[in-house]
Amino acid sequence: MLDTLRQIETPEGVFLRLRAAGALPRAQAWTIDFVLRMLVFWAGMIPLSLLGRAGAGVGALLMFVLMWAYAVVCEVWFGGQTLGKRAMGLRVVSADGAPVTLVPSVLRNLLRVVDILPGVYAVGLASTLIDPYGRRLGDVIAGTLVIHGGELPAGSQVPSVAPVAPPPGLAADEQAVIVEFAERCAQLTPQRQQELADLLQPLTGCTGEAGVQRLLGYANWLLGRA
Amino acid sequence: MKQERFVALHREAWNELQHWLDLVERKQRQALRSPRAGGFPAEYRRLCHHLALARARGYSREVTDRLQRMVQQGHRLLYRPPAPRWHRALTFLIAGFPRLVRSEWRCMAAAAVLFFGPALFCLIALQFHPEWAHSIFGSGQLAEFEKMYDPSNDKIGRSSGTDMAMFGTYVMNNVSIAFRTFASGLVLGVGAVYVLAANGVIIGGVAGHLTQMGYGGPFWRFVAAHAAFELTALVIAGGAGLRLGLTLLAPGRQRRGPAMVAAGWIGAQLALGAFAMLLVAAAIEAFWSSIAWFPNVLKFGSAALLWVLVIGWLWRGGAEGGDGA
Repeated sequence: MLDTLRQIETPEGVFLRLRAAGALPRAQAWTIDFVLRMLVFWAGMIPLSLLGRAGAGVGALLMFVLMWAYAVVCEVWFGGQTLGKRAMGLRVVSADGAPVTLVPSVLRNLLRVVDILPGVYAVGLASTLIDPYGRRLGDVIAGTLVIHGGELPAGSQVPSVAPVAPPPGLAADEQAVIVEFAERCAQLTPQRQQELADLLQPLTGCTGEAGVQRLLGYANWLLGRA
Repeated sequence: MKQERFVALHREAWNELQHWLDLVERKQRQALRSPRAGGFPAEYRRLCHHLALARARGYSREVTDRLQRMVQQGHRLLYRPPAPRWHRALTFLIAGFPRLVRSEWRCMAAAAVLFFGPALFCLIALQFHPEWAHSIFGSGQLAEFEKMYDPSNDKIGRSSGTDMAMFGTYVMNNVSIAFRTFASGLVLGVGAVYVLAANGVIIGGVAGHLTQMGYGGPFWRFVAAHAAFELTALVIAGGAGLRLGLTLLAPGRQRRGPAMVAAGWIGAQLALGAFAMLLVAAAIEAFWSSIAWFPNVLKFGSAALLWVLVIGWLWRGGAEGGDGA
C-alpha cells in the first residue's frame, strides 16, 4: 500500500502509528534551522568581534557548536526536535518508535555530510524518494525516522439521534463503516451525505435525508446509546 | 460492553492521566517528582490494555484515536533516553573506547598505513628532492609555513593569533576534518581513503620541507606533543570510516541493512572518542605547543610521555586480565 504510516508493536502489545515525514517538510525545517543558526552566529559575532582575536577563537567554537552539536543536543534532550522541526511539527524517533538516543543521533547528524553531498542534499533527496519511509541515508544507517509529531485529528462526535436497531447480521467492519460515516458527516455537505447514504439504500431501505438519518440512528444504536 | 458504557467507566481515569501527561510536557521536573509519577508505568499499561480492548471490540475512532494519542504520548515518556551521566561518559573514554578501537584493529591498521605511509614517504623523499615540495604546495603556502616556523619567532606554529583564537580554530578545523573523514567513508570507503592519504601527503610534505630547509627544530618542537592525540584521532576516525565503507561493500554473513546499522553504531562511538581526543589535542596545541622558550628536554620529554600515554591507553585501556580483544 502506498502509505507512509508505520505501525510498530510496543512491548505492551499495542501498536504505535508513526507517520513518516517526506522531503518537503524536512527541507523546510532545515531551512528554518539554517536561518536561526545564521542569526545566532551573527548576533554572537557582534560582541565577540570587540574582543579582537580571542573573540575570533570563541567565534570558531560557536560555529562548531552550531554546526555539529546543535542538532544532536536538540534531538536527544529536547524531545527529538530542533527548533525548525518543532516549527514544522516533526520529530526524530528511533525505528522502534522510542525517543532517539545519543549514538544514533550523533550518527545521523554526522552522515549529513554524505546526504548533502553533490550539492544541495541530492543524495538525501534521492534516498528519501526511494525509501518507503522517507529516510535519508543517515537515518537508514542510524536506524532513526523523522515523523509528523502531531497525531491525526481524533474522530469527531457522532450526532445524537434516536437509536434505531440495524438489520441483524452486519459484520464488524460494516458496523465500523456506519459509525465512521456518522462521525464524519458533520464535515460533509448535505448533498454529499445523501450521496453516500444512498449507496446503502439496500440496507436502509430509504434514500435522501431519510437515509442519512437512518444511518445516524444505526450508529447511535451501535455505540450503545439508549 | 457497549462503547458508551466503556467510556463512562474509564473517562475519569483517562482525563487524569491526560492532564498529568500534558503537565510533564510543560514542566517535566516538577511532574516527575510528584507522587503520581510512581504509578505511571502501571497506569500506562492499563491504558494500553484499554486501547487493545477498544480496537478488538471495534469501538469508534472517537475512542480509539484518543487512546492512541495518549498511548503515544505515554510511550515517549516511559521510553525516553536516560539523563546524561558523567560517570558513563568517563567509563566510555577510559575503557569502552580503547576496547572498541582494539576490536576494530584491522581497519585501524589499514587507516594508519594509508596515513603514515604517504606521510613518511613525503618526509623522506623531500630530503633528497627538495624541489618536489613545489609540486605539493603553492609558493604562497610554502612562504606561510616558513613564516610560521621561523626559528626567530617568539611563538611557534602560527604567524598571528592568540592562544584562545587558535584553540577555537583548531577545534573547528580538526574536528570537522575528522568528522568528514568518518562520514565520507560511507562512499564505499573512497572518501576516507582519499582524506587520509591527502592529509598524509600534506603533513609529511610540510614536515619534510621544513626539516630539509633547516627549520626542523621549531617544527618538531611544536608538533611533537599534540601529534600524539591529533594524528591518532585522525587515524581512528578514518578507520571508522573505512569500516563503514567496507561493510557496505562486503557485509559478511549478514544482510546489508543490519550490518550497516551495526557498523554505524560502532563508527559513531569511535567518532565521539576521536572528538574527545581532538579537544585534548587542540588544548595542548594552543596552550602548550606554542610556547617557544621551553628547553628541548621539556618539550620532547612531555611529547614522549604523551605518546606513551596514548598508546598505552589504546593498547591496555579497559582490558580485563590479559584479554587481547
